[in-house]
Amino acid sequence: MSVNDKARMWLKEPLVHFLIGGALIYTLFAWRGEPVDPASRTIEISRSDRAQLSLGFERMMGRSPTDGELDRQVDRFVREEVLYREALRLGLDGNDGVVRRRLSQKMDLLAAAQAETVQPSDPTLQAWYKAHPERFTDTSRYTLDQAFKSEMGQAKAQIAQLNSMAPRDDWKALSEPISLPASVSQVPRKEVLDRFGEQFLAEIDALKPDEEWQGPVRSGFGFHAVRLLRRDVGEVPPFEDVRGKVENDWRTATIAERKERGYAILREAYTVEIAE
Amino acid sequence: MRKLCRKSVLAKWALAGAATLALAACGGAVDETQSGDGEGAIELAEYPDRPYWGDTHLHTDNSVDAFGFGVRLGPEDALKFARGDEVTATTGAQAKLARPLDFLVIADHSDGLGATRRLYDAPRLGVQAMGDETMLRWYDMMHESPQQSQRAIGELIAAAASGDLPEAMSDPEASKEATKEIWETHLDTLDRYNEPGVFTAFGGFEYSLMPGGNNLHRVVMFRDGSDRTKQVLPYPGLSTSPEGLWDYMDGYAEATGGEALAIPHNSNLSNGDMFELTMPDGGPMTAEYARKRARSEPVVEVTQIKGDSETHPFLSPNDEMAGFGVKGWELGNLPLSAKTSNDMLAGNYVRSALKRGISLEEKLGVNPYAFGVIGSTDSHTSLATGDEDNFFGKHTGNEPSVEDRSTAGQNLGTRVGRFGWHYLAGGYAAAWARGNTRAEIFDAFKRREVYATTGPRMTVRLFAGFDFSEEDWDGDWVKRGYNNGVPMGGKLVDKKQAPTFLISALKDPDGANLDRVQIIKGWVDQFDVVREKVYDVVWSDMEGERALQGNRVPKVGDTVNREDASYTNTIGAPELRATWTDPDYKWGQKQAFYYVRVLEIPTPRWTLFDAKRFGITLSPAAMADAVAQERAYSSPVWLTIEPEPEEADSGNDPDAPAIMDKNTDA
Repeated sequence: MSVNDKARMWLKEPLVHFLIGGALIYTLFAWRGEPVDPASRTIEISRSDRAQLSLGFERMMGRSPTDGELDRQVDRFVREEVLYREALRLGLDGNDGVVRRRLSQKMDLLAAAQAETVQPSDPTLQAWYKAHPERFTDTSRYTLDQAFKSEMGQAKAQIAQLNSMAPRDDWKALSEPISLPASVSQVPRKEVLDRFGEQFLAEIDALKPDEEWQGPVRSGFGFHAVRLLRRDVGEVPPFEDVRGKVENDWRTATIAERKERGYAILREAYTVEIAE
Repeated sequence: MRKLCRKSVLAKWALAGAATLALAACGGAVDETQSGDGEGAIELAEYPDRPYWGDTHLHTDNSVDAFGFGVRLGPEDALKFARGDEVTATTGAQAKLARPLDFLVIADHSDGLGATRRLYDAPRLGVQAMGDETMLRWYDMMHESPQQSQRAIGELIAAAASGDLPEAMSDPEASKEATKEIWETHLDTLDRYNEPGVFTAFGGFEYSLMPGGNNLHRVVMFRDGSDRTKQVLPYPGLSTSPEGLWDYMDGYAEATGGEALAIPHNSNLSNGDMFELTMPDGGPMTAEYARKRARSEPVVEVTQIKGDSETHPFLSPNDEMAGFGVKGWELGNLPLSAKTSNDMLAGNYVRSALKRGISLEEKLGVNPYAFGVIGSTDSHTSLATGDEDNFFGKHTGNEPSVEDRSTAGQNLGTRVGRFGWHYLAGGYAAAWARGNTRAEIFDAFKRREVYATTGPRMTVRLFAGFDFSEEDWDGDWVKRGYNNGVPMGGKLVDKKQAPTFLISALKDPDGANLDRVQIIKGWVDQFDVVREKVYDVVWSDMEGERALQGNRVPKVGDTVNREDASYTNTIGAPELRATWTDPDYKWGQKQAFYYVRVLEIPTPRWTLFDAKRFGITLSPAAMADAVAQERAYSSPVWLTIEPEPEEADSGNDPDAPAIMDKNTDA
């Protein structure tokens, strides 16, 4: 068996895939950090490396390793290290989809990790709050009356009738029976959506608040004469009331942003040529 | 040396972000209303004035199988999606709900919570060190390709079903620390997203007991915030029993003053074991068992992606509308390791369970199966989608980017005849509550004032009493309903007089019109025979074209354009209402229940939307099933002979209305 054949066999071994994966991370760090020769034939195992191995064992097995077990961990570590350096010399790190995907995920995680646990200061959050008021704005609220008809013609006639009614007349009696509220007061936008549907909400948004009956407004049920008394556009509540929300939003956005900016910095160093 | 290098890169990498670098642990500022049950946080309506919509059964990447199927979205994305934000699905598509949900229970499997993710993230060396060849093989498969990963999870489910899971995965002690970490982080996340009055994020998990592959799964849902739920860990399903789970829930209530309930699901895949007439060991059922079960499990999930469990044509031969979502699933248990025979069906379906419940009540004085019903998704994509035109698949292996997902076989029993098109788009749960908080919605579940839909958001009201009439519709009939009767989920004591019902079904404002409203009655007659009957109560155009022919209601018609996957609302009605009195009531009949079934006009299923979207041809069998009548099921009202003796219960009174005052005092 030639060296090449052996190398090919190794290539198919998932263990090797993984070794390369783990290895590549180290190399990446090594190369981008202080000058460590990746081709060096000296392997240093520091005390903290040993502690790390011991901790890894403990996490997996739920107890500390015995001295013998720790020695075996170190042996494995050394074996991994030797094989990985050799694998790199053979150039096995390229063109492996699994390794590539895993490594890129790890990089993303590294970028995000800090933002997931950091405790942002108030000034940071206040700045965030000021920069994105629209994300913390209260919902719009609607106050309206509606009378229902299942047919367009009747709905039009109904509007004329409603607008000529005396204020004390029972306008609700004109509506065809339907289990929808005849009047709603200060209800949030989502409730209008839930109860009357998308089309109704879209048409209501095109109306101006007025004491007069307007419409007919279409919905999934039929046609509505609508008296849109108020539409209160939501305001931004004071910072103290939405601090938790701001922090949550900041955290989510910061994680995403770090991934992107981290990538952008690395990406800058590359020239990409795509063949036509 | 190496460490140093690593740090310097890390710092560079982290500096890429503009934010401050501090080293404090994760905590997060969450105000008290978010971290508790939300009681007193918002102003409540006088009585439940609208249904709140939710999914109580969603899996994220913390679920052993979901992660293996390929989902890489976590609880945070799941919560964002449910409350209406746009997220990027694992396979890359942008996903957003047209109408956000009001509440969500993330129900990741308690067994091996986060285990596949941990396994996947572990160094292979570590996995090897555990000395378990199976784990190592799954590990390699998961890393090899998405297809292999799904295969690995198929094996994992089969192993869980047959009790052959590797010890490292099935031993709860071994993974306690890791579970604790995931659980607590998860509960913090829920608190961050829980916003009383706007969006409710419930703590919960799935209890996945599956002896021999017979599905006895339950979703467990907590009423409380993390101050209480952090005091426990999710209860493992493997090698435990439902009684153990109920004890765990009681223990939780006692230790924390909180409350939990369990929701059985996929009884259709239990091979008769979900709703038995006996104790699990085959002995006669005891009153104590029945009482405990009824108290712990007030609600059952009747419809979801893996089929519908209302009833089976074999059990309800006179019900023309029986059999929705039955195909494929009726063949066997969950992994199809054992076939389902006809004698098992009565233990598999909800209607027959309700019947068994009242007949057991005759013998034991207590009804173990006095439950309400809800629908949910059981989606494994972190995306709570129940809509036919926005179906994201059972798991990431069949998100919409997978073009042949409707015709392809499944991981669960393909060779024996289950196919992609057998999946339903999944249902939703509706809760009649006075406001959107953990306490209000949980209590609605507890008193069974909830209902199920197969996806569309119809508004369904049901009141039962003895003095309702047609005139009630002229005034504030909802208030009259509460004052003079009981709502769905309630119990009415027999007054030697036929009960009368106020029933209203309002279509989904953005969905299809309604075909008809039916009442399904089950009862024990004077000869102790348990019977069922389906009544057409009200339907569209019933005075005109669809006037009764003999005693049959003519079909509503079908406007679905098969090529275009579209339909029109030119048939059906926007609302159907009726005052209905039981015409077959006889004094001498024993326990009875009544529930409402609402049918929409025929509409395209997700398979037809897929066929259009991808330009594929469905198989004749799939095509025959590509149009369906979506439906809603109310929780039943029971007509009981004797009032049950008051039970000393620490929690809220499950029979609250009288308009809700008892609850306010609690």
